[in-house]
Amino acid sequence: MTMQAMIDEWYPVGLFSQLDAAGRGTALMGEPIVVASDADGNAKVTGGNGRVLPVCVRYGHVWSSLGAPKKALFSIPEADQTGRRFVDVGVVRVRCSPLRAVENFLDVAHFPFVHTDILGAEPHTEVQNYKVEIREDVDEVWATQVKFYQPLAAKSASGGITTEYMYRVPAPTCSVLYKTCPPRPSEWDVITLFVQPLAEDLCDVWPWMALFDDTTSLTDLIHFQQTIFLQDRSILENQIPRLLPLDPGLEIPTRADLTSVAYRRWLKRHNYTYGAQLVAQ
Amino acid sequence: MHPDTTGSWTPVALSADLPAGTVIPARIPAGSIALWRSESGRPAASANRCPHRGMSLSHGFVRGEALSCIYHGWSYAQAGNCLRIPAHPGLTPPQAIRVKTYPVEETGGVIWVAMGEPSANPPKFEGFVALRSLMAEAGIAAIEAAAGAKASPAGLVEPAESTGTICLLLSAQEDRQTLLHVLLKGEAGTAARIAASRAAESLRRKAEDLQKKGIAQ
Repeated sequence: MTMQAMIDEWYPVGLFSQLDAAGRGTALMGEPIVVASDADGNAKVTGGNGRVLPVCVRYGHVWSSLGAPKKALFSIPEADQTGRRFVDVGVVRVRCSPLRAVENFLDVAHFPFVHTDILGAEPHTEVQNYKVEIREDVDEVWATQVKFYQPLAAKSASGGITTEYMYRVPAPTCSVLYKTCPPRPSEWDVITLFVQPLAEDLCDVWPWMALFDDTTSLTDLIHFQQTIFLQDRSILENQIPRLLPLDPGLEIPTRADLTSVAYRRWLKRHNYTYGAQLVAQ
Repeated sequence: MHPDTTGSWTPVALSADLPAGTVIPARIPAGSIALWRSESGRPAASANRCPHRGMSLSHGFVRGEALSCIYHGWSYAQAGNCLRIPAHPGLTPPQAIRVKTYPVEETGGVIWVAMGEPSANPPKFEGFVALRSLMAEAGIAAIEAAAGAKASPAGLVEPAESTGTICLLLSAQEDRQTLLHVLLKGEAGTAARIAASRAAESLRRKAEDLQKKGIAQ
């Protein structure tokens, strides 16, 4: 287990809207932590031995770190755009590597089989060529021009459409998805996956959304995402090995998996190996 | 098991528990397997892991003569070669993409899986009918003690109290678990089948108690 390179990153540890003075016990990379609000209503995160951990509040969530973050949390400009609805989806606990949870989020080829008749449906299984790059200036993995046929792309969709996706990986356990917005073709809906690594093989997944949708009820928006993430969990808890293999050989990628290939390469380059399996181990 | 008569065959399930077009998980000494039966009725066994993303194949689905992974729908023939990658419908999967497979035989309502190339056929138990399978939280020694009888070289135990009406075919699993296949002598009526089923459950409880006491001592 190598924690060093990932220890200085920010991780989601709870919803800001759910904070209370009593605090909520959880864990970050194996260390028990308490997430609470202080007398002034600010978020406060305490480590196992009572030490006060770094805190920031952004995108509906409280973020913390066991180390000393060298830079501010990544930016999502759409989070400041007027007219969007911001949705705290809640949490799904998954018995898997936090890195496997992110990799699954980057994948569209599983839609027809895992999210049948919602995000995909046979015979529309083909993944057309798309573009993947590691953007060196911002040090992020990007996949663009990802197109996929979806029977029910979003709660606001009526009928099947070919949806376009862009994926961003700005931090080892976080991904931001930009997706065709059915009611506003000129804009992108934003759906994020913020993953809290509880341990190398256990994580809490905190999805969050910034949408243009004035009609769907909050309950329905949350239920839609919960359905999707629970379907993903049935996969993630049955992959072998539980840790993400970073070296080639154990798993076979195809052209549809180029985002995953770039993500694994980027993780390895940065020694982001908490939750990963290396051949040397 | 006796090497001369059984080779490396493992009794993994009863034929009745694997209908056409289904897949179930099973275990052989080499590890976890996906046991499935094609729509035309042919049984097959493969390693329980899709080489694409490591997903357990026993969670998959059977269509026609192929087993598909539930994650991305990659499908495999009975021989283990990948037939189709749905994300790339025009692509013929390279021969290198395959799952390890194991020989399968069915005799007397029992499905047997071998490791390697077996030199003999799996054992046949003439005059017996397969009734049901049970998993016991007990090792083979505890089951033999509960039955008051030793397992034969083929893994067959005839409980002392059963007076020749039932036999148990044993298969050791992980973590001191044992799979018991209950075999009935001859064609028995409903009442006799229910009685045999209860007798097997009672024997399982006894074996599990013995196992717990054994660990406590």
